[in-house]
Amino acid sequence: MTTFTAEAYQNEYLPLGGSEVNVVVTVTATGDAVAGERPAAAEIVIVDASGSMEVPRGKIEAARQATAAAIDCIRDGVEFGVIAGRESARALYPRRGGLVTASDRTRAEAKQEVARLDAGGGTAIGAWLRRAGEMFATAPEGVHHAIVLTDGENYSETDADFRAALTEVEGRFQCDCRGVGTDWKVDELRRVASTLLGSVDIIKDPSEMPADFRAMMEAAMGKATREVWIRLWTPQGATVKLVRQVSPAIEELTHRGVPVNDLTADYPTGSWGTEARDYHVCISVNPRGIGDEMLAGRLSLVEGEQVHSQALIKAIWTDDEQLSTRISREVARATGQVELADAIQDGLKARKAGDEATATFRLGRAVQLAAEGGNDATMKLLEAVVDIDDPATGTVRLRSHVADIDEMALDTRSTKTVRVAPAEPAEPA
Amino acid sequence: MSASAELRCGTCAAAIAPEDRFCEQCGAPAVATDPAQGGCVSCGAPGAAVGEDGYCTVCGVLRRPAAERAELDLVVAAAVTDQGRVHRRNEDAFDLQLVADRGVVAVVCDGISSASAGDTAAQAAASAAGAVLAEAIGDPARDPSDATVAAIGAAHDAVAQVPWTTRVDRAVPSCTLVSALWRGSELVVGWIGDSRAYYWLEGGQCRRLTVDDSWAEEQVAEGLLSREEAARDRRFHSITHWVGADAPDRPPRVVALTPEAPGRLVLCTDGLWNYAPTAEELGALIEALPAGAGPAAVARSLTETALARGGRDNITVAVVDIDPEREP
Repeated sequence: MTTFTAEAYQNEYLPLGGSEVNVVVTVTATGDAVAGERPAAAEIVIVDASGSMEVPRGKIEAARQATAAAIDCIRDGVEFGVIAGRESARALYPRRGGLVTASDRTRAEAKQEVARLDAGGGTAIGAWLRRAGEMFATAPEGVHHAIVLTDGENYSETDADFRAALTEVEGRFQCDCRGVGTDWKVDELRRVASTLLGSVDIIKDPSEMPADFRAMMEAAMGKATREVWIRLWTPQGATVKLVRQVSPAIEELTHRGVPVNDLTADYPTGSWGTEARDYHVCISVNPRGIGDEMLAGRLSLVEGEQVHSQALIKAIWTDDEQLSTRISREVARATGQVELADAIQDGLKARKAGDEATATFRLGRAVQLAAEGGNDATMKLLEAVVDIDDPATGTVRLRSHVADIDEMALDTRSTKTVRVAPAEPAEPA
Repeated sequence: MSASAELRCGTCAAAIAPEDRFCEQCGAPAVATDPAQGGCVSCGAPGAAVGEDGYCTVCGVLRRPAAERAELDLVVAAAVTDQGRVHRRNEDAFDLQLVADRGVVAVVCDGISSASAGDTAAQAAASAAGAVLAEAIGDPARDPSDATVAAIGAAHDAVAQVPWTTRVDRAVPSCTLVSALWRGSELVVGWIGDSRAYYWLEGGQCRRLTVDDSWAEEQVAEGLLSREEAARDRRFHSITHWVGADAPDRPPRVVALTPEAPGRLVLCTDGLWNYAPTAEELGALIEALPAGAGPAAVARSLTETALARGGRDNITVAVVDIDPEREP
């Protein structure tokens, strides 16, 4: 049984006339999922089998091994299938299409098919996802999860086709995306992962593939809940300005709210294992008088009909500036992490466009923020792109030779954030 | 009190009449919801809409618990003490006594919030001083000024007895005190700290009788700062004398008057005078009331004004009608 706790970190004090309430809510899911209590699960591995996978020679072999490693992690009883992705999606296993129940026999059969996987043809990620959506539709309700591996740009379908496919499958399954090599587009895979509530990452070396696939599949098998939604109640007259996951990675949810009633909307978060995630919520309320206290929001976790835990988001108006000017450490941190991701993405875009001044300025700011925020992993990735003179002031020089893979790794991982142990929630005086 | 007097504006907490569509004080739409029925005073949602945690499920506004408030109406004298809109408890206290055919005793105290047990200290001081003054009123041989000094001495002793728990950054229990003893043609006011006494004459003139024992007053008295400059300083509210075990060893200040025309004595804590800092402003508030308004109406109205203007501190007001021609 999974239990959720939700804790709000905020400065609830607003100055006279203040209307914006910012809060970081940490949601923690704990509990051991006993085998019998696990929700039904379905898994699809979508592996790129386009012509480019032949180059270099080892890539398709690594993909075969990785897919086999992932198949080995699939628990008995889980419905699964493997899709070979080209300009269309071919059911690699089971060949008749649909899904089969995992067992020693079916896993072995699947691996035999995967071993024969060869490369040729184009890349049409939208078509692959559509096919996966059709296959999941045959499985019982529960955790539906896919892994997409690609090495190339999505050139065999139009952008409109791609977008339409994403819209079609949104909410039907979760999908983690992995790009290998440097020919795939970070923005494309990020869009897939964001829409389908999954992660995106780069595999720098094909040899890393099996371990990465195993880890992804183990995480998927650890999912102990069905789809969980954040339910946010706000008072009459209030506006939800922001709902954003800020840890473990930045995901905008603001525009993905599904209205429940006039005052309440649900935001998708996918299924949960034993993990913690942070959400930055900003609500604009009608200001009230000094000394008034208002509930600006009530955030709860909803799984099916079950409402799990809730956190109260408060607003208290005061004319004590010492109270109202304090910025919550957690909110400041959330804002800093988003600024860091923006600085990296802007800087890399400017660098590609040949605008060295902007690139230097933005990547310098990124270095400064990464140093302040203790984002050591991001700092390492930045070091591959810029020479750092002074991290405190963000003084950097662009490197003249930067490996494409380093640049893409930095871009892909720019939205990954680090958590710090949150401070004790402040008790009102 | 009639049921309609219970209605309060959800925005500024001023009293509103049931027929009012907008609050007279702040102009916010008046919502005629009786808090006693458990409905939301802010948006008018019915009692069922207010959740167990006190937050309205429609507008989110927290239902304020009935403010800690006490009123005493003795016809010729009245007092009101109110928690205010910000503080979480009332650390003010008053003692008001009518000694039959003799006179009136009034004491107002303000517990110092940076000290421990400020509320208990204020209560103890007001009762102790009130008891000494009431006894003195009945003794024609007793000098009212001496009695006032003795009463404040008794308040000191009582506060020193208040049990308290040591806490970091918390001083020993202490409070301010302003007292009045009226007996025929004698009116004696004594004080320690920054609670004040005013004398308002029918016809409009209003005079402050006390000088605050405060940093600001000392700066002004010594010509170091103007009143405006002092008011801007963060030490403006620091008091230099108080009732308590650790108080400076100085006697209280006492003034004796001989009222010659009918008027009103107002004793109050800074919860009121912060919102009407000069005698003129306070006088204007009293002047604005209908001719028939008695001490209770004056005390309530002044309290409502302080609440409407922010109610940042506890508010205590005692009003005594003084008529030298007529014994109380």
